Amino acid sequence: MAQHHVTSADIALHGDHLQSATVSKAKSIAMRVAAVGIVISMYLLFFAPEKIRGCYAYSWLFAFYFFLSLSIGGCFWTLLHNVTNSGWGTSVRRTFENLGSTYPWMFLFALPLLCPNVQQYLYEWMNLQRAATGNVQEFLQHQNSLLDHKYGFMNLPFWYARVIFWGFSLSLVIIGLRRLSVAQDTDPLPGTARLLKARFHSTYTLILFALTVTFTGYDFLLGMDYKWFSTMWGVYLFGGSALNSMAVIILVCAWLKSLGHLKHVTSDEHFHIMGKLLLAFTIFWAYISFSQAFLIWYANITEETSYFLIRNTGHWNTAMITLIIGHFVVPFVILLQAWMKRSSKALSILAGYMLCMHVLDHYLITIPVRGISLGNIKPDVFGDIQTSIPWAFWGDVLAFVTVGAAFLFFLLRALGQHSLYPNRDPRILESSNFSN
Amino acid sequence: MSTTRKRVYGYLAEFESATALYAAAEKIRDHGFTCWDCYSAYPIHGLDTAMGLKRSILPWFVFCGGLTGMATAFTLAYTTQVVIYPTVVQAKPANLFTLPAFFPILFELTVLFSGLTVLFGLLALIRLPRLNHPLFESHQFHRVTDDGFFIAIEAMDPQFNREQTRDLLAQIGGSSIELVEED
Repeated sequence: MAQHHVTSADIALHGDHLQSATVSKAKSIAMRVAAVGIVISMYLLFFAPEKIRGCYAYSWLFAFYFFLSLSIGGCFWTLLHNVTNSGWGTSVRRTFENLGSTYPWMFLFALPLLCPNVQQYLYEWMNLQRAATGNVQEFLQHQNSLLDHKYGFMNLPFWYARVIFWGFSLSLVIIGLRRLSVAQDTDPLPGTARLLKARFHSTYTLILFALTVTFTGYDFLLGMDYKWFSTMWGVYLFGGSALNSMAVIILVCAWLKSLGHLKHVTSDEHFHIMGKLLLAFTIFWAYISFSQAFLIWYANITEETSYFLIRNTGHWNTAMITLIIGHFVVPFVILLQAWMKRSSKALSILAGYMLCMHVLDHYLITIPVRGISLGNIKPDVFGDIQTSIPWAFWGDVLAFVTVGAAFLFFLLRALGQHSLYPNRDPRILESSNFSN
Repeated sequence: MSTTRKRVYGYLAEFESATALYAAAEKIRDHGFTCWDCYSAYPIHGLDTAMGLKRSILPWFVFCGGLTGMATAFTLAYTTQVVIYPTVVQAKPANLFTLPAFFPILFELTVLFSGLTVLFGLLALIRLPRLNHPLFESHQFHRVTDDGFFIAIEAMDPQFNREQTRDLLAQIGGSSIELVEED
């Protein structure tokens, strides 16, 4: 329960704005780190010796998709909040929107992945199709039957068209919804029209979101091994994305509250709900990832088992077991307790921990393929197939810091642009006085 | 003239609305009563804190129930599938490391045992099923499933006093105060 009943006198009339002085330093540091990192990354992706270029392409893919998954999750929570007509989340909805609004920027980091120079190390199927002489499909019919069967989906023009579509469509959705929400903050006669409009437009765009999260995963990650397929791949990525974007939202809300913002409008009750969602998606993630592993183990088909064979070889196996315990067992048992979810401090520590596990999850999705694919694609440069390339780890760190700094910059920028909660939303009092 | 002795159950007081009930509950809580309860036709958010109720111990029962279910499933699957009669399919081994194959069973029995613990634990904690309740003696109490909001303070309470408790209920806004007696 809140200390007292929140009334409209407690709501900031002109919005609760982040003081630019408090974040300007962090913002400028993040921007500089990102700028320097991008310059170095461009060198490493396009001009460095081939051995480094090949390894760094994987680092970039890992960092790019990790932060994209957080942004996509922000879009998901915005859409879900609107479409379910929920009252509890109005006071934290702006944080969903702010996280989602980094999506267009984060998608820009896919640009290097559109260049054939980078693609040649990541996507073997593109190399095979580019090497085709004459009619590509006829060529594949004779050379690679599997790729020929997948030609309807895996062909270069369609791949480019899809990637561009994912980038633009979800960007338009989140920019539109955020604009609609922000316009209400200053409207002297706010009314409910915008709320209903947002609800209406969140319905069909939720389908668009589902396609985006599924097929960006297919196009960027699953495409690394064109022989492998899993129908649970999209749901698996969605589970991780929704879970960890909620972790980011919890961290942001707890941080804003510690600065004295979101006063009166958020209470332990909101953290309790967000903690419950964190628990729900921890279970969901485990359920989906286990189902994927279980079905593949059960069916025992050569093309499918490769995914787990690669990741259970050598030290990757240790990491996979760590993932099971660290990404599911530990947070599951901790989050079962109610006091834990109600304390913003304890919950933020757990949210930070979840994000570390998400890094491990995405590291294990992308990086184990590197040693194998590079050895397959260009044995003359990269030598034999290896389970891992030790020194390439530092490239992963660099790419992660670069994209991460940019993500932080765009998130802080979004937070500073508008009021931190929709102060003229008709449901703001309902949300403020919410009790579990 | 009846000579049967009746046992006093306690005082029953009616309140105007959920808000009045909530405010009254806070005051009774602050007076330190322990054997009393609020009655309304629908759940009122936050009434548990207003009444000063502690968290139920049911979750711990459920946690233990779930663990029991998991242990049962493990014993069941391991004994039958590994020790007694290993089913070899596609030359897959059967040992402790093939535990994931038993996960569906582990999951199902954990959920089943937790669910049953919730049901029976809850029934035990709220002492249901029971055939009658002394409050049903009161005529006005019948409205509790419709539009009545009531508070009953039991005579079992150490703080209970025939005059003072009645005055307290009247003072915090209770009306139609009635001394309920059971047969």
